[in-house]
Amino acid sequence: MIKNIFLKTLLVLSIILTIGPILLVAIQSFSFRWVWPDLLPQRFGLRAWKAVFEDPSLLQALGNSMMITAAVVMLTMVISMPAARALAFEQFKGKTVIETILMLPLLIPLLFIVMGLHLTMIRFNLADTLAGVILVHLLPCVPYAIRILRTGYERVGTKWYEQAIVLGASRQKQFWTITVPMLMPSIRSAIVLTVVITLSQYALTAIIGGGIITTLPIIYYPYFNSADQPIIAAFTLLFAVLPILFWFVIELICRSVTTMIRQP
Amino acid sequence: MKLYKNKRILPYLQIAPAFLLIVGLLGYGVFNGILESLQVDFSWTVEAYQTLFGNSAFWTSLWYTLYITFVSTMIALLVGLCLTHFLYPYLVKDRWKAVIWVPMLFPHFAAGYLIVLLFSDSGWISGLLFQSGAISQLSDFPNLVNDTNGLGIIMTYVWKEIPFVVLMLLPVYVQMDERLKDVVLTLGGKKHDEFLTAQWPYLWPTIIEIAIILFAFIFAAFEVPYLLGVTFPQMTPVLAFDWFFDGNWDQRPVAFASMVVVTAIIVMLTIAVYSSTQKYRHRLMKGS
Repeated sequence: MIKNIFLKTLLVLSIILTIGPILLVAIQSFSFRWVWPDLLPQRFGLRAWKAVFEDPSLLQALGNSMMITAAVVMLTMVISMPAARALAFEQFKGKTVIETILMLPLLIPLLFIVMGLHLTMIRFNLADTLAGVILVHLLPCVPYAIRILRTGYERVGTKWYEQAIVLGASRQKQFWTITVPMLMPSIRSAIVLTVVITLSQYALTAIIGGGIITTLPIIYYPYFNSADQPIIAAFTLLFAVLPILFWFVIELICRSVTTMIRQP
Repeated sequence: MKLYKNKRILPYLQIAPAFLLIVGLLGYGVFNGILESLQVDFSWTVEAYQTLFGNSAFWTSLWYTLYITFVSTMIALLVGLCLTHFLYPYLVKDRWKAVIWVPMLFPHFAAGYLIVLLFSDSGWISGLLFQSGAISQLSDFPNLVNDTNGLGIIMTYVWKEIPFVVLMLLPVYVQMDERLKDVVLTLGGKKHDEFLTAQWPYLWPTIIEIAIILFAFIFAAFEVPYLLGVTFPQMTPVLAFDWFFDGNWDQRPVAFASMVVVTAIIVMLTIAVYSSTQKYRHRLMKGS
């Protein structure tokens, strides 16, 4: 009984501490006048959101961020899915070493790696380009994606694939009828995390993009110093909206392809 | 015959893109970074390291960074472990799991803004304290965000990393054999025996892994301290970034040298932790 009350309190408390600050940001973004020490704004309005979506530099950054994110998500999935599958199902020589190397980007400072790559990127004409930025953004994303997808493959196991092979399904059909639907929870997590990681990179983008490729994080910092609270709040929320948007679009694509393949 | 041969090579082919990407970018970046730290005007020298080690601002920043990293990692791990331990029957349900994912959606610097909104001197908490009569004016509220103790940075990391810790630990709790807990209880063990003998052996390898990931990340991350940090002391990555982008290129080798030091600390710590726990790992494998 006491334990139950304790658990419920802990649960409610952690939810408040998790969601509460975000709710405050949401309220702030819709506030019109909110002065200290009022606990809630006196008036609400859409001024901040309008200002965010009317700023041409922000719209350009949003466009760049969307392009980079879309490319990074696609490349990360294409690179990580086969690797995760091999690590989950196969035993081969040097597996432990390869596993360790694939997780190294979580250990070695990205800032250092990118500083080291800078001159070479200039030489290969990749500095100050979208391609260069996309390339370095893959580094923090791929290890997490491999990790999550590998757990997914391990959970599904090989039995479904064996059955599909017995029934004569092609590799492509196996992918859309087994891998995609069965691994959907892992794919979803991997995609959302990839989007968040890409949208979190300031230093990588600043160094390789050279200030020419502006993304949302690059212009977040000058906004942060502007001291117009509702606008910063709206901008902050925008970062959380994008991963959900990407997840939604990709879920839609995966679902429709799967249903198309299932119906002959 | 062809099939047999393909089967042997296939896993390597499947891993090749990820492997080449990581070895190529990471390996080359690190190699080049070390090289640039050892070169001044195209000649080999350890001048950059001499400058760096003679710079008191660097030592202050290194200790400051270690302190922030250690405190943030420890708090996030402890709170994350406690939450998972007590709440995992709830947390495995989809709707609560969705709640954990919400902070994951925000970049670290966005979480920094949340902390500013709550804890700055004209923030929400300060307003709440004023309304409740705990403080009588704005200036009574302590400086928690832009302070030399890095409290704002620590709070940002803790808020951001606790959900990460919970998400990493949840699968371990889900896979744990519930019967082991019953064994402990039938044999007369107490509640803490239950945790220590039935759960801890499964938990600690993951806990160590999370600790290393968090330590490596916070120690070398740039985004949050750049947003919330004060001009002195600065966290080492911010210092390195400033040196790297300094107008004249003289500071570049020093910037590289400082990141070499940061990287070396992370790598040595990881090796030390893994090698000192290696024998227990073997025992664990044999035991199960």
